[in-house]
Amino acid sequence: MMKLFSTVYKELLLLFRDRAGLLVLFLMPAALVIIVSLVQENVLKTTGEIDVQVVLADRDRGAVGDAIRKGLAEAGAMEIVEAGRGFDGGPGRELNRDGKADDAAVENAVAHGDAQVGIIIPAGLTRNMQARIDAQIEAAFAGKPASEAENVSLPELRLYFDPLAQGSFRSAIVNAIHRIILMMEMEMKAGAFTGAVRSFVPEMSDDWGSGRLLDLRVERTGRGGVEKLPTSVQQNVPAWALFGMFFIVVPLSGALIREREDGTQTRLLTLPVSYGILLMGKVIAYVFICIVQFGIILLIGIYVLPLMGTPVLEIGSSPEAVAVIVLSAALAASGYGIAIGVFSGTYEQASMFGPVSIVIAAALGGIMVPVYVMPETMREISRFSPLAWGLNGLTELFVREGDMISVLPEIAYLLLFAAGMLGAAWIGFSRRRRF
Amino acid sequence: MAILKPFEENEEEPCLVAQDLKKRYPAAEKPAIDDLSLSVHAGEIFGLLGPNGAGKTTAISVMTGLLRPDAGAVHICGIDLFKRSKAARKFFGLVPQEIALYPNLTARENLRYFGRLYGLKGKQLKERVAESLSIVGLSDRAHQRIRTFSGGMKRRANLSAGLLHSPRLLFLDEPTVGIDAQSRNMILERLLEMREKGVAMIYTTHYMEEAQTLCSRIAVMDEGRIVAHGSPADLLRGYPECRDLGALFLHLTGKRLRD
Repeated sequence: MMKLFSTVYKELLLLFRDRAGLLVLFLMPAALVIIVSLVQENVLKTTGEIDVQVVLADRDRGAVGDAIRKGLAEAGAMEIVEAGRGFDGGPGRELNRDGKADDAAVENAVAHGDAQVGIIIPAGLTRNMQARIDAQIEAAFAGKPASEAENVSLPELRLYFDPLAQGSFRSAIVNAIHRIILMMEMEMKAGAFTGAVRSFVPEMSDDWGSGRLLDLRVERTGRGGVEKLPTSVQQNVPAWALFGMFFIVVPLSGALIREREDGTQTRLLTLPVSYGILLMGKVIAYVFICIVQFGIILLIGIYVLPLMGTPVLEIGSSPEAVAVIVLSAALAASGYGIAIGVFSGTYEQASMFGPVSIVIAAALGGIMVPVYVMPETMREISRFSPLAWGLNGLTELFVREGDMISVLPEIAYLLLFAAGMLGAAWIGFSRRRRF
Repeated sequence: MAILKPFEENEEEPCLVAQDLKKRYPAAEKPAIDDLSLSVHAGEIFGLLGPNGAGKTTAISVMTGLLRPDAGAVHICGIDLFKRSKAARKFFGLVPQEIALYPNLTARENLRYFGRLYGLKGKQLKERVAESLSIVGLSDRAHQRIRTFSGGMKRRANLSAGLLHSPRLLFLDEPTVGIDAQSRNMILERLLEMREKGVAMIYTTHYMEEAQTLCSRIAVMDEGRIVAHGSPADLLRGYPECRDLGALFLHLTGKRLRD
């Protein structure tokens, strides 16, 4: 046991004295988590996945503005800011004398990404709509064609979108506004119609136009009725923490190759200790490093990222399952590092192949691009990436409130991968010794 | 505790017996060692000389258990190296050709680590580390990292790691290559002191004057075989046309370059 502990201590001592190695192990994943989380937070805004800012310039101050305000608020995930009320359109986009932002200021604010959507409701829009409906009803009762009512000008609502806003998000907003206006139109037409026929049916109610015929209920799947989508932090913290963990292949394989090249391995192999103990010592030391690394990144997600405006990292309700997944991923990463160290001929080979293979596994595993946007073939291939197993397990726990049972397959895959890599490394090492 | 244990029981038994060792690397035309047999007794320094590629390092690798031979047996202090390797390894030390130490650890940290792997602990470990460093004159540099050492200091530190557990048999693979005269002189003096204390040594070198001064017996190897064997004086008597060991070496192995 003392030989094992001595090896663990020696490995940790060597690691702490390797500044470049420490940068790779701790600073790189921490920087990646912070940068990518902040970038993706902005991307989610432009795709409408999280709360977006809608700047509303309501010159009409009538029923249309009220209906849009109410309709968008009901749709959720939108923060409506009144132009001229705490929203000045940004630097160089001054307010009018009456304290309201002019149309150009709203347009500029959206163009510069300060808000994702801008809506301008021109003055007199409600009055114009009502006038058109009255004209249409009057023309209808007089037996004249609808075109007779065209002498009242068609009111116009103007929408502006952040240039980065994606197509689906634009369509969703345009459709929502259309729906709100259509409902208003129905209600106004019903009111006007009721007014016209009340002389014949005095007891006729005028709110029949707002009665709904069909209800549509949208539900998201989630355990225990929990409705959650991964936030940028829930996606990126586990993803880049895993990426960082697997990067231990660089110092770990490097340590093995250096031992081989500088003759230390020769000395070790003549000592009265099994080489398996020495390899186990390395694995324990690097698993410990991986766990510390993951812990640091978790703390960044909980305490540092929220200071920069992202949501707080929530780790679900099964911390023991998180611990087991992290331990399994750390073992898989260490096993892979040992295998690369054994099979690489030189340090240069390992330091090239190791990181490149991790980047490829990360790309396949949904670390950089979510798996669901990949083509079918790539999605199939991604099932073979250890980083995908780790990420799927942690997403299951962080986002879908999964537990130990629900992540057992991922744990099993990671442990089998670790065992496979260590087994292959041992066979490769033994073959080399025999010759 | 004595710096090195005296050879206590059964001094007649050789510390090393290698019998009929054969080793051919995959795809190699000729065997790296062929029918190599030798024995080394306590207090004896056995010089293994030969040109590059003669099979010296392969012989040491097989005799220390780093490589398995295709045929033959090795006994260390009476223990079969390939059947009871862990027990046999306690009796010998290796000073490899490379500086087999961790450059980012201090000399003391290196020795403490290797000492623990030999099973030393507590006070005994502390004393053995201090004594091993003292033997090679590095006591006052024990706190320095190996990468800050000069070439001579590294060689001496490399030797001290092989002495930690007071071995009865020491394999030295070119321990003085590329160092200054002072360090070389110190290493040779220490090896002679150890010989007096009964430590057996297998010594490979390209420096013929070293071999002539140090070795009780010499085997000249070429193409995996021992081509001459005996004490330096006996060998020179057998070849009167050779005035020294260097001339004898060239006479036996030829002047053809070995790359």
